[in-house]
Amino acid sequence: MPPQIIRLVLLTIGIVCFYFTARYLLTPPSFGKYGHYRADAIQMIASRQIYWAGKAACVTCHTAHAEKLAKGEHKNLSCETCHGPGLAHVANTAEKLPKFDMSLCVRCHEASPSKPKWMHQINSKNHYTGNLCTECHVPHLPTEVP
Amino acid sequence: MSDNVTRRSVLKKLAGIVGGLLAMPAARTCKAGVQNVLASSPAPAGYDPFQHKWLMALDVDRCIGCGRCVEACGAENDVPEGHWRTWIERYVIPKAPTGSGKTRGEAIVDSPDGGKKGFPELLVPKEDILKSFFVPKLCNLCEHSPCTQVCPVGATFEAPDGAVLVDKNYCIGCGFCIQACPYGCRFFNEKTHTADKCTLCYHRITRGLKPACVEICPAQARIFGDLKNPVPDDPLQRFISDNKVEELKKSLGTGPRVVYAGLDEEVR
Repeated sequence: MPPQIIRLVLLTIGIVCFYFTARYLLTPPSFGKYGHYRADAIQMIASRQIYWAGKAACVTCHTAHAEKLAKGEHKNLSCETCHGPGLAHVANTAEKLPKFDMSLCVRCHEASPSKPKWMHQINSKNHYTGNLCTECHVPHLPTEVP
Repeated sequence: MSDNVTRRSVLKKLAGIVGGLLAMPAARTCKAGVQNVLASSPAPAGYDPFQHKWLMALDVDRCIGCGRCVEACGAENDVPEGHWRTWIERYVIPKAPTGSGKTRGEAIVDSPDGGKKGFPELLVPKEDILKSFFVPKLCNLCEHSPCTQVCPVGATFEAPDGAVLVDKNYCIGCGFCIQACPYGCRFFNEKTHTADKCTLCYHRITRGLKPACVEICPAQARIFGDLKNPVPDDPLQRFISDNKVEELKKSLGTGPRVVYAGLDEEVR
């Protein structure tokens, strides 16, 4: 066999060997298990820490509030929608929730032509001259007067 | 040829085999080392992605545009300022100008800061408005997602449960997927230097919780559920059977796992 052919064959074998070695070293362990991606990434993404505790966690202790809430218009609201993130409080009950922010009332209830008709809407400029919504409304039972 | 077998050649071959065997553990250690640099994955949480099929339905007639979902998502997923994994668009369709011969005017769409702090007062006078509504948007979780098809490194993928995810340890931040998404749902995260998108709060749904936006929505505009494990009187299945649900940009054939009810023709 002519030497130039032998050199070419050896070079080809070398390149192929290099390719397979590099692929062996660089492919992560779970790559291709489910598809063209790293299957371990699913667990990695799932292992992130949560931020909002969820209504089920609140209701475990605050049963009386939950029962009251279930009777009124706000029954489908999550506790954290108004009270803010409660995970720190769930982990350690000494940790208090952020102060109830009354600007949230207007965020939902301020009248706007874009809002659907079923929503109770008010015009905050001429609805009430006082400061606090809670002077006339009970947030857990909005139709009730305190 | 048989006279070529000498003691020297046999010893050489044996030495080669022994050397090869000795090199194997070294190669394995080397491989593990390289992979540790490229990707580290914590212990599995015992969630089987093959046992679930997630779907989100959005009720346009329920959305009040408060923007609590955008806030909840941003806090839950550490979304950088100026980017949104979910956002709300406000559509204002004015009445057709007189003599234009049309049924409606040109739609005005806005989404200040993704609707995170709610919406300012409308500039269009009320009497000129034909129709106005809010549309919550998020990753459409396409079954045939254009974004995963263009990824050159296999860093973004459709999980078996329908979630479209980004492997941040593998993403090189080239941005092809951001351009490929027909819904504009991806962005470049400057903190992680990777592509970022809605994960359907994967860390929450795998723990049996609702995604943050669904949890916080005060108007039940977002209905989320598992098609493989329906609960008794499943709200998602009831919603889909009671309403005419549509997908965004159906003509693209992306097969979204996010469906809308009460969608106006103007929404794309």
